[in-house]
Amino acid sequence: MIWLLSLREWQRRPLRMSISTLGVALAVAALWSLLAFGRGYRDGVQDELDHLGAHVLLAPKGCPYDATSLALHGASWPCYLKAAYLNQVRAVPGVAKAAPVLMNAFIDDSGAQTVYLGVDSNLLALKGGWHLSGRFPTFRGDLLLGADVARKNDWHIGQTVSLPGLNGARGTVSGILAPSQSADDGFIYTRLSDAQTWFQRRGELTHVLVRLRDPDQLDDVVAQLRSCGAGLEMNVVPLSHIFHSIEGLVNATRALLLCIVMVALLVAGAGVSNTLMIAVSERTREIGVMRALGAKHGEIFRVFWAQALQLCGVGAIAGVSIGWTAARETDAWLRAQLPYSPHNSMVHSDWPTTLACILGAMLLGTMAGGLPAWRASCLTPSVAMRARGERA
Amino acid sequence: MACVVFDAKRCDAGAGRTRLKLVGENFPAVSNDIKMETLSFAVEADGLTRIYKRGGEEVRALDGVSFRVRDGEFVSIVGASGSGKTTLLNLLGCMDAADRGTLRLAGHEVGAINERARTRLRRDHIGFVFQHFGLMPTLTVHENVALPGLFGRRIWPSRHQKSLDARADELLERVSLAHRRNHRPHELSGGEMQRVAIARSLLNTPRLLLADEPTGDLDSATGESIIELLQELNRDGLTILVVTHNTALAAIAEHQISLRDGRLIQDSTDQML
Ligand SMILES: Nc1ncnc2c1ncn2[C@@H]1O[C@H](COP(=O)(O)OP(=O)(O)OP(=O)(O)O)[C@@H](O)[C@H]1O
Ligand SMILES: [Mg+2]
Repeated sequence: MIWLLSLREWQRRPLRMSISTLGVALAVAALWSLLAFGRGYRDGVQDELDHLGAHVLLAPKGCPYDATSLALHGASWPCYLKAAYLNQVRAVPGVAKAAPVLMNAFIDDSGAQTVYLGVDSNLLALKGGWHLSGRFPTFRGDLLLGADVARKNDWHIGQTVSLPGLNGARGTVSGILAPSQSADDGFIYTRLSDAQTWFQRRGELTHVLVRLRDPDQLDDVVAQLRSCGAGLEMNVVPLSHIFHSIEGLVNATRALLLCIVMVALLVAGAGVSNTLMIAVSERTREIGVMRALGAKHGEIFRVFWAQALQLCGVGAIAGVSIGWTAARETDAWLRAQLPYSPHNSMVHSDWPTTLACILGAMLLGTMAGGLPAWRASCLTPSVAMRARGERA
Repeated sequence: MACVVFDAKRCDAGAGRTRLKLVGENFPAVSNDIKMETLSFAVEADGLTRIYKRGGEEVRALDGVSFRVRDGEFVSIVGASGSGKTTLLNLLGCMDAADRGTLRLAGHEVGAINERARTRLRRDHIGFVFQHFGLMPTLTVHENVALPGLFGRRIWPSRHQKSLDARADELLERVSLAHRRNHRPHELSGGEMQRVAIARSLLNTPRLLLADEPTGDLDSATGESIIELLQELNRDGLTILVVTHNTALAAIAEHQISLRDGRLIQDSTDQML
């Protein structure tokens, strides 16, 4: 009954009710996106590091400070390490594997990027999750293609292809990686020596990926790498630290955004409260009549309180739906804003987040409806006799 | 349980009509303090005084008003504008409390009972008819009539709902508006709206009907049909107190009370005061 009385209000003031609901919907959509992004981003970055398979990245001193993120996604930078440092790195106790990489990226006229990585078989020890058909580059000109590269170019194992960006150089597809939903899907792996020839960087590397025997000893090993002979020439970047500092940065931004979203929610709640206050003053006589007919304080309270819950409930469902359907667009927009974004989708649509948003909105409704409902319930039945106005 | 039975007027008029169950229910105890009494009066007002404070100034809307209304009487309350008629009706309907004086309904002193009990008293035993009809514009005619039956119930009425629907239909039939059951109030004429309001006031089988200028917003012909309906209800045993400027309505009442400046100046059952 109470629900009937408040549900019918939608027919009386559809525009006003819809505007209040829209306010709640937008605030909830923002909240949902922010929460979904938080989880998604964290999982995405962690996934990316897992795919990389390394605990420590060695990059040349003086290269861009965000070399790590570039290394994760593929890029060129004009600083190099001497391949000879590798022996010193491998001599450090605690280092299980050190995989040298020479990376180069070309962007063609259409804006498409081709990323080459010259590697040796040490890399296989890091990439436990790889599934490849064919063979790891072993002979001159051998190419191991990421799944996306093979699909986009329609290249097959055994095919000889001319390499984009490398005037006339040709290679033979020796293997293709199964899709991994990571940056690997977009890379072309070659033998290290082939890459050094093509890019005229003999004896040079862009970075080294290091895997430890025991990840718990990270700090020890990092200290030893920094103090070894080649340490002065290298930036020793522990990837979990990178992960934490990226996360910290993103979390700080998220906290700020969360404050803004909270303000938006409060404003939406104030809108709901205001809509109901107006309804209470418009319906003073009706409330008086209901009281005269025997409605208790609590029943009048519930009529308006239920209306606030309905407004916020509908708003929450609409908001979550907006967030859910716009997840792809939100992801694309965030990608354009963030200095580093993982390969996977950053906005994770999941039920716990959805439920939390709906419950949050109901809590908002409870608070927003309290004051108008209380005001309505305090009206005396005698206003039914007194209040004059339009009839019926 | 402390309870008092109204000395109901016998129903003999309107043969062949649907009989409304207006009598036969016991007045429930509204407070444990109320003692059982034998009643000869439905309403007993003694020195009722209501003072409103407006700014620093006091307005004596009612000043020592005393009268008695027998069970089953048709009473009209007349007086110039501002004489305190609505104020009196508010007190009689337990919608407001007197500053001085006592009011007894069916022997219960209502000044002594709390707000909750008064609400219950209104719901179960007093019907209200307003000049402005007071229908809920968002509910259908049928839902409006059923409205009082929904207060004080559980959230999910279930079984109760069925008998409530039947009762509302019965009342709509009684006021000859069964065919407008699913219409909204704004689709009805003033007279029809007032008939719906009267049907609603009867839902909980009240013993007392209070009407504040029920024909005030109606033309004289429509007003007449409302007067007839009220007369019929009174013949069925309902005690009716009606505030009115309508001379026709005032004339049919067997008992007239006149107010001036908050004082009772004439009570037709007594001699001139
Ligand atoms: N809430 C209030 N506060 C202050 N004064 C009030 C209040 N309600 C009524 N009054 C005053 O009490 C007096 C009686 O008012 P009431 O409404 O009872 O008159 P009435 O006889 O019903 O008049 P009408 O025929 O115009 O309806 C008036 O002077 C009015 O101004
Ligand atoms: Mg009046």
